[in-house]
Amino acid sequence: MRCLQLTGAQTFDALDAVCPCDIFLRDGQMKHTLLLDEEGIPFADIYVCREGEDAYLLGYGPSAAEIADWITGHATDSSDFSIIDLNKSHQSLALDGPYAWELCAEVFGPDVLGLPYLGMRTLGEVLVFRAGRTGEYGYHLLVPTGQKNAWREKLLATGTAFAMACASEAARAQCVLENSFFDVNREGRYGLTPLELQLQWRLSPQKTAYPGAEAIRTLRQSGWTHRLTCFIAPDFASPDEEITCNGETVGCILAAGYSPLRGEYVGKALLRRPYWHAGLDVFRVGCRPLKTISAPAINNLSLKITPYRHSFHTRAEDLS
Amino acid sequence: MRSELKGKIAQREAVLNRVIELLISRLRLERSSNELDPDTPLFGSGLCLDSVDAVEIVVVLEAEFGIWLDEDEDEGMFALRTVNSLVDAVLSQKEGELDNRN
Repeated sequence: MRCLQLTGAQTFDALDAVCPCDIFLRDGQMKHTLLLDEEGIPFADIYVCREGEDAYLLGYGPSAAEIADWITGHATDSSDFSIIDLNKSHQSLALDGPYAWELCAEVFGPDVLGLPYLGMRTLGEVLVFRAGRTGEYGYHLLVPTGQKNAWREKLLATGTAFAMACASEAARAQCVLENSFFDVNREGRYGLTPLELQLQWRLSPQKTAYPGAEAIRTLRQSGWTHRLTCFIAPDFASPDEEITCNGETVGCILAAGYSPLRGEYVGKALLRRPYWHAGLDVFRVGCRPLKTISAPAINNLSLKITPYRHSFHTRAEDLS
Repeated sequence: MRSELKGKIAQREAVLNRVIELLISRLRLERSSNELDPDTPLFGSGLCLDSVDAVEIVVVLEAEFGIWLDEDEDEGMFALRTVNSLVDAVLSQKEGELDNRN
């Protein structure tokens, strides 16, 4: 994850010029959006956060330097803001799970509990962003590089009482897929716009001036022919395989992985109209069946957990 | 395309379009129908709706489709995740009613 800090009087003017969503943020609020190229294709998946007069930008996709150069190049007036690459001074830790909030509160203090989804706060030298892509309660922690090991050890030590475990990047990527979060390095490789990716909620309909706006407007007017749709497949499924319906090719798989929770493959397919709907159990990949479903593919435990009512330590009674 | 599949797609499209229309009009969303994708999350991110909106959705779906979602039960909670999950709930309750009648 890339992390940039933007500072200076024109910070939000610069962000407003490059982001396809409105940048009206309260202090401590985050917004999930995209950076689009001139063809309207996302090249970065970003969160924009406001803290006082500064902004933080958390991003997936290109390098921090590429994002910084792109913002500077597209801002209408780049004279009165500067961009600091926080990856040079900080490192990130991610805490995800149905009781991540409880562990976070033990380590960083009870203020964390008041942090709403898509909220951020500075606690001492640690920047806490409440956002995740696993479908569970998620916290991105940005800590000074020299303190990373100490914070990691503290989290691990405190985390033993919460059955905490370290997860691999592959495991996190699988959570991202199961929960249908956009992955700019996966389905983002296929040159699709937010209209085909079902990411129009990341754009503000009223906003007309941002890189890629003209391409989006043109495609909306002409209509788009394909859409990304979630699927499940009891047998093997892998990216780039063709999908057929009654012998006719109707799309292809862009992302797939085995879901241990569901006991079958889950993924995202690019299907053409009118086959692009969820709930159709009529497809084949080779001779293997495939069914489209509504996103996300799983329902997370965090949906049933409320910090002021539940606790990891009473989970058996809470969820019975 | 086989007529059975055509019918299923047409039914899904009709419910989806109506759900989108209702969300836009009843929640006063500043979006047109082709700016609202089926898998758009309703709460948290996506449309960023709140608990008052959730009640409105439950009421409007009951009035329009005669279905009931209990937000405190798993099924209702999961149905309120995205536009498409609302459509699933409408279609599955309607199918259940048909099965009961048959």
